[in-house]
Amino acid sequence: MSQVVVHELSVRIGKKELVSSISLEIAAGTWCTIIGPNGAGKTTLVEAVAGLRAPSHGSVTIGRKSVSSMSERERARTVSLVPQHPVVPEGMTVYDYVALGRTAYHGLFRPPSAHDRSVIDGVLERLSLGEFRDRDGATLSGGERQRMVLARAFAQSTMVIVLDEPITGLDMRHQMELLELLKTEVADCGLTVVATLHDLTLAGQFADRLVLLDHGNVAIDGPASDVVRSDELVASYGMHLRVVDVDGSDVVVPVRK
Amino acid sequence: MTTNPPTRRRVAIITACTVAGLVVAAVGGLAIGPTIGTWHVVGAALAHLGLGHSTLTPLQWTIVWQLRAPRMVLGLLAGAMLAVAGATYQGVFRNPLADPYLLGVAAGAGLGATFAIVNVGQSLTTPTWTPLLAFVGAMGAVTVTWLIGGRRLRSSTATLILAGVAVSSLLTSAQTFLQQQSTGSIARVYIWLLGSLASASWSSVWLVLPYVAVCVAICVVAGRALDVMSVGEDESRSLGVPVRRVRFVVIAASSLGTAAIVSAVGLIGFVGIIVPHIVRLLVGTSYRRILPISVLFGAGFLVLADTIARTVLAPSELPLGVVTALVGAPVFVVILSLRRPVAV
Repeated sequence: MSQVVVHELSVRIGKKELVSSISLEIAAGTWCTIIGPNGAGKTTLVEAVAGLRAPSHGSVTIGRKSVSSMSERERARTVSLVPQHPVVPEGMTVYDYVALGRTAYHGLFRPPSAHDRSVIDGVLERLSLGEFRDRDGATLSGGERQRMVLARAFAQSTMVIVLDEPITGLDMRHQMELLELLKTEVADCGLTVVATLHDLTLAGQFADRLVLLDHGNVAIDGPASDVVRSDELVASYGMHLRVVDVDGSDVVVPVRK
Repeated sequence: MTTNPPTRRRVAIITACTVAGLVVAAVGGLAIGPTIGTWHVVGAALAHLGLGHSTLTPLQWTIVWQLRAPRMVLGLLAGAMLAVAGATYQGVFRNPLADPYLLGVAAGAGLGATFAIVNVGQSLTTPTWTPLLAFVGAMGAVTVTWLIGGRRLRSSTATLILAGVAVSSLLTSAQTFLQQQSTGSIARVYIWLLGSLASASWSSVWLVLPYVAVCVAICVVAGRALDVMSVGEDESRSLGVPVRRVRFVVIAASSLGTAAIVSAVGLIGFVGIIVPHIVRLLVGTSYRRILPISVLFGAGFLVLADTIARTVLAPSELPLGVVTALVGAPVFVVILSLRRPVAV
């Protein structure tokens, strides 16, 4: 059964249509990565899936309910977001930051319940953030900070998570660690992932499916091994790409003309 | 630059010290003054509790109860409201320079009060028009600002701030024009603009109390929402916060409470911007702590400033707005030099 259904979605900001009549169905417990050059509409698409951009046409449905018709609270219990540039307020502890993920459950007028606190503790443990719980989140390294942002999204206990370039600014080791953590959640908890990534190699290695966007339209959609070898990918990026098999994994390498 | 988040023990100690300071300021506000000795008033209060006997004459008792007490209580209300409104504005706009006058309250109230003052004795007959027109002007200005900059679904806080700047500039120009047309009233307008608790009475206390009680309560309750909103609009929406609704409610509460206070005491500067910063430096960046402690700190601070304003040059008074800056700025500088600053 499809967890996320994007039906003829268009998103217009001002006079410019950033996403044009896109239709996608993403099955529960799978990982779908949106790829494409800058300005292709990736962020707009995932923000629409997260309910942050209203469709000018079409709809996004999660679990048979339209995202646009959900209240903020209901939406936060349905889909969580890891933004491209998360704001980490100075002076806020890691625990308090992760606890923000439970806001939709305890509301704005009550403190986290015992259940909320146990969820937060569990997430901190799972993401190896326990030792940092009383640290100012703004003082963490890039990798630790991104894990903290992921922890906040996990604390929302949603079945769908949207990530917009979650590994931006991380070194290779931390990129792999973060994506492995996410892959484990997909396997263990049946999480549905909708992500954008610029790194085509990592996109191909972790996603079950790649969707290539170009100028707000789907250029090609399919298994990672097919998409990274497609002519559409080369045309979309406007450059030579080679795909090399390294120990059974596809590595996408840009080649100078 | 960052600081370690404060421990619960530290917050508890600071809260206790703030409460103690507030009590001392309130007692000082009642007891200190040029006409009656401090210990006479303290003795009368103790006698009221059955300890010893009062040496106050009926006239002195009237001075304490009918002049100093309402002045002190109005000072508590004004300080609490301005400080919590400033903290709320700083939280909702995520802007350290925000103060309760950001959206035009001061300019609107100034225009309304000036209109009343220059027309008293002409088309308007009594000085009671001044607070009424100041209140109407303040709320009118904020309403226009909201209609220009905050009404649309995708309006950002920056749009609202810019609308506030535009409305404030327009109304300040109109107020200056009115003032210039009636040079005989300049002194009275100027005194009003600097703020004063000198005209405080129990009736003015009862008039503003409901506004301040409700608005302070709404602002304090909004602390958890402002903490979530500190991660920005899109993120807080994704976390389940109805950002637009929360923003409207807290701005409305802050503005309404500030308008009520300004209509009663004029424009008192500095409290609404510096008190929240002092509190933030002491207890960290969480609005769940900043807001209630700002209420206590602002209340005590303004009563202290007023006590200084009416005693150092007695029998004449210093403008309250001048004293709040003269007392507050050194306190702020000392705290700033002792601790590294934290972000809003």
